[in-house]
Amino acid sequence: MTHPVHMKPAVLPAPLQSLVTDPKLQSSTTHLPALHSLAVQIEHNLQYQHSWTALRIHTHSPLTNELLPRPLVSGVPPERAYIDPDEQIELLKKADQKRKAATDDKSDSKPILEFEAQPEREWVLPTRLSEKWTLHQLHDVFTGISIVPPENETSPTTSTNPWRTSKRAILATVDTDSTVVYYVIHEGMIKPRQN
Amino acid sequence: MAPVTEPFPISRIASRYLLFDVDIISHVRRNHNMCGLLVGTIPNLSQQNVFLGIPLELMPEEARVLVEQGAAYIVDDAQAHRQGFMEMSREDRLKFLQYMDQQGHEKAMESKRMTEQRTAKALSAKGLKPKEEENPPVDPELVPEPYRDVTMPQFRPNSLASVKPVEVKEESLFDSEPAATAVSAPENKIVPHFITPTTSHPPLPKPAIDHSIPLPVVPKSYSLYRYVQSKGYFTMPGLRFGCNYSIYPGDPLRFHSHFLGTGLGWDEEFDLLDVIGGGRLANRNKKAYLIGGEDPQVPKESVTSTEGMRVFSIEWVAM
Repeated sequence: MTHPVHMKPAVLPAPLQSLVTDPKLQSSTTHLPALHSLAVQIEHNLQYQHSWTALRIHTHSPLTNELLPRPLVSGVPPERAYIDPDEQIELLKKADQKRKAATDDKSDSKPILEFEAQPEREWVLPTRLSEKWTLHQLHDVFTGISIVPPENETSPTTSTNPWRTSKRAILATVDTDSTVVYYVIHEGMIKPRQN
Repeated sequence: MAPVTEPFPISRIASRYLLFDVDIISHVRRNHNMCGLLVGTIPNLSQQNVFLGIPLELMPEEARVLVEQGAAYIVDDAQAHRQGFMEMSREDRLKFLQYMDQQGHEKAMESKRMTEQRTAKALSAKGLKPKEEENPPVDPELVPEPYRDVTMPQFRPNSLASVKPVEVKEESLFDSEPAATAVSAPENKIVPHFITPTTSHPPLPKPAIDHSIPLPVVPKSYSLYRYVQSKGYFTMPGLRFGCNYSIYPGDPLRFHSHFLGTGLGWDEEFDLLDVIGGGRLANRNKKAYLIGGEDPQVPKESVTSTEGMRVFSIEWVAM
């Protein structure tokens, strides 16, 4: 819809709408504008709906520096997005020892068993529900990514967490009504969590 | 358990792959992590299908893995039987028939011995208790007309009928034709039973390896099956979870399954909705959804190698 320049539009576009139609994105030279605006939309959702921080859009692979099949997002969730089941056992053991030490002091009230896992930076793969995928495409995406996303151009791509040994990415799928669902995809056969 | 020598035969009957030897069945379960499915029932009681027995039916994938690994070979069972029995020598045939006769004789002797034992037992019981107390006379007029024939055996056990015909006749309160026939039947001459052989190995020797028999035809999820099997996982059919295989980290009798596996072609398109649905269902059941397929571009060292396999585990993120 076009308007005469001197008139205000009847309805102001939504902030997300104006974000994805940003002329800077339209002139992106790396990927198709549709893919780029998809990444922006997911980044927006992560930032404002799920309180992620330090978000970043990657267009090139940190390993080979080649163009990724599509722009990927990375960021830090407010809580750990994925805990390895073996790591969870380890953390629970530590928390139990801590609780025992605490109950020795007061000996009447038992604090609840709680453990803390530091949030880790995660890869996010933006997709649309209407898309068809193949194993080949997934393989191409996973070939391009590192175990841990780099925070900036110079930061390391290997993990300091000894339990994080395989590649994983969070599959963000957006429907036409802008609902986004998140599933984690691991490369290889990973022991399932006991939730 | 007798040791099994590989390769062992897998019988192909009507394009199903069956194992008939209990030793081979346990060998396959222990060493090749394959459960198969027991499909054998009792021929004259086929509605009894809670506890099934031998034979064990293998999935075509399982049969193919065994053949490719050189652990087994396929035998066309109908052909092997036709050929084996048609070409059997006269001596072998006579020897086998003689053996069957001998077995039949033994069976007949045994059943006669059992009858005698039963008779002796019944008689000794009779010696302790007078017959009148055990079976008080029933006025035939008290039994309603349609039930007279039905209730009869209760008053007159068959074993007694054959041993003490005179008494039975006295005891009989109806004018009973059946009692009369029972009296005349038994003679002390032993007729050997006719034996239907239940196995064909023996008399047939272990079937020879025939390389002309084609490999089992497998679905496209085969590469995923082979990969998972090579990692030491057990698999069961995945119909109840809407996938190809439910994958167990050990024997399904001891473990819950860890993965719901779906095999896909390398360039086969799938809907993200299927991945999300699979991931959600698997997560609900404390499992992970597994998709996998083989890259045809990756060169393979041998038929059994799994270098080109790429698998992905999918789990729900709580957000």
